[in-house]
Amino acid sequence: MTSEVVSSETASPVKADTPRTFNSDRWLGLAFVAPIVVVMGFLVFGPVLVTLWDSLHRVDPMRLGTPFIGLENYRNLMRDASVLHAWFNTMAYVIFAVVLETAGGLAAALLLNKITWGRRWLLAAVVLPWALPPVVNAIVWMWIYNPSYGLLNGILQSTGLISSYHVWFNDRTTALLLVALVHVWRMLPLTAVILLAALQSIPAELYQAARLDGAGPFRSFSKVTLPLISGGLAIALSQSTVFAFNLFDEAWILNGSSLDTRPVLVQVYMSAFQNLRFSYGMALSVLVMFASLLISLVYVLRVYRETRYD
Amino acid sequence: MKRKMLMAAVTAIVLCATLPVGAQAAAPLAGQTITVLLPPWATLPKDMTDRFTRQTGIKLSLQTLGWDEIRTKIITASIAGSPPADVTEVDWSWVGQFGSSGWYAPLNATVDGATARDLPATAIFTYDKKLIGIPYNNDFRLLIFNRQHLGTAGIAQPPKTLADLLADAKTIKEKGVVKFPIALPLSATEGTATAWYLLTKAFGGDLFDNNLKPLFTSPDSAGYKALAWEIDALKAGLIDPASTGLKDVEVQELFKNGQASFDVAGWAGNLSVYTDASKSKVASVAEGALMPTVSGKTRTFGLPEAVGIPAASTHKEAAEAFIHWFVAPENQMESYTALGNLPTRTSVLKSLDDSGKLASGKALLAQAAVVEPLFKQGTPTWYPQFSSAVSTAINQAAKGQLTVDAAIKQIAAQAAEAQEQ
Repeated sequence: MTSEVVSSETASPVKADTPRTFNSDRWLGLAFVAPIVVVMGFLVFGPVLVTLWDSLHRVDPMRLGTPFIGLENYRNLMRDASVLHAWFNTMAYVIFAVVLETAGGLAAALLLNKITWGRRWLLAAVVLPWALPPVVNAIVWMWIYNPSYGLLNGILQSTGLISSYHVWFNDRTTALLLVALVHVWRMLPLTAVILLAALQSIPAELYQAARLDGAGPFRSFSKVTLPLISGGLAIALSQSTVFAFNLFDEAWILNGSSLDTRPVLVQVYMSAFQNLRFSYGMALSVLVMFASLLISLVYVLRVYRETRYD
Repeated sequence: MKRKMLMAAVTAIVLCATLPVGAQAAAPLAGQTITVLLPPWATLPKDMTDRFTRQTGIKLSLQTLGWDEIRTKIITASIAGSPPADVTEVDWSWVGQFGSSGWYAPLNATVDGATARDLPATAIFTYDKKLIGIPYNNDFRLLIFNRQHLGTAGIAQPPKTLADLLADAKTIKEKGVVKFPIALPLSATEGTATAWYLLTKAFGGDLFDNNLKPLFTSPDSAGYKALAWEIDALKAGLIDPASTGLKDVEVQELFKNGQASFDVAGWAGNLSVYTDASKSKVASVAEGALMPTVSGKTRTFGLPEAVGIPAASTHKEAAEAFIHWFVAPENQMESYTALGNLPTRTSVLKSLDDSGKLASGKALLAQAAVVEPLFKQGTPTWYPQFSSAVSTAINQAAKGQLTVDAAIKQIAAQAAEAQEQ
């Protein structure tokens, strides 16, 4: 049936309307696309190209001229201990964030999908952290983690889990995890909403058919749910990855520029706006962009391959 | 008669000709609106800004931002060629970068000799013979202590040496007066670095020699001893372990709340805040004392703040009028009373002390007399990078991730790297 549909669609219309012909539909299509192409060109692709070009020069307002220096900025980045430290932290954030947001978001979406009474209220509650500005989120958590009067110490001490108040950010691993948790708390609702939308598009008949074939809940989940939400999952994974690479506010507010929790974007900020080495910061931001794109591309291509049946 | 008529006519013509010029010189300023970008501690009360508008006809659009954010705004706006504001904060530590970038209009011509002599900190804001800011806040560091805590612990006088300071802090802790007697920031922030610079001076040394070579790398150097002193005090439980996450302003809260006995790197202007009962719980017992040193002869360094005019400002004359009004003696006096900004004019400081309005005036004036610049050659362009390396390394040492030796080596290596760029 699929092949019939495909052949009937490809046979006559494409032959009749060759790619070189521009009829009114095509002009209309172009007119619809043109504004976003122009906006993206000016606000995204243009700045990206300028940044790429500038990263190959020495752009430093304290020194005269902007000479071409080739890949020197990139070579220096590979040797910069602070940059390598920041990369390690960012990769830790990406792993923590992607794993926790995906697992937590999926669990929340499954729960919301099951609930029929009061779902919209629960959904509103789940979405709340995402709706708050990141700075507000981070400040709330800063109070929770405060070593002197923080809620976390208070709860742990009152339940007897710790004997005295703990300075959480004095241990690097704990500090990384705590910063990542704040980010996860803020971004998990987005993953949950994306996956909930995917879950709601699965026809109930498929689950009935699976049950008739003797599939239990786990088998239904792995053979019906997961394949059919894989498109949504790819989008959720991509956004989790990109946002984890772009983590800035949480780390900056909770622990300043401390090397223990400094993500690579804070390093970009410090290189460009503290040390006034603009092209060095630009080179680092280019690397962040490529790393983020590369990982997202892996998800998208993998899911694309798995969900194409034609 | 004819001659008189001729003279009168000539005078009238001259007057008529000059009248529009005079009117043009005065009129353009009135009705102009200038934007002024300052940190919270310099944001003037409304009655002061209203008075400025009444006196000059210039309207003020006052913008308040955090110190770090002001710097970012100046940099992003200046690199784009637009003015961040018509008047902005200029910190002593930005002089190297902003001076070399040419982002600020020179103010040399607007300051006469007498004013310059009354404002000695102008030298710190001069880069390549160009004055890029006129100082309004005479920040330097001294010891601020809680007289009641010392009394309860049986200590009659504030410490004069660093050994006395440690001994007094131990006594206060042992007697259970407070848990952590010394307030000192240890986070990866500027306040941590400046406290170390002060302690380096207190140990009798300097950070760099005349050729900007580090003087803090050897274990018997002042900088090395200063860092070791900080870490020892932390390990001895004299500094709150949570200080690894506290900025200088947060550490000051500990002192204001009576949770610490010594604000070791106290801001001179903060004495007026600490002694203000509406802002502090220790108002009646907070006092200033000369910064203790290893030798007993006090030392300190200046961290003044200024106001400057970005080169891209389109209201330079009105901005100049505001700056001169801002640092006028009567306004410096009012700014000190309302906000705690210690006047930069020597004459105003003396006048405040004479009238008994200067909190711990004797100690302040004695400390002010020995204020040294941190960099004799002027603030270098690489200072922010060096300062960041210092605070990061101290933060790591305080968390036990680096030894004192490793932290010092890291600072030296990053200082060399910063100087190379």
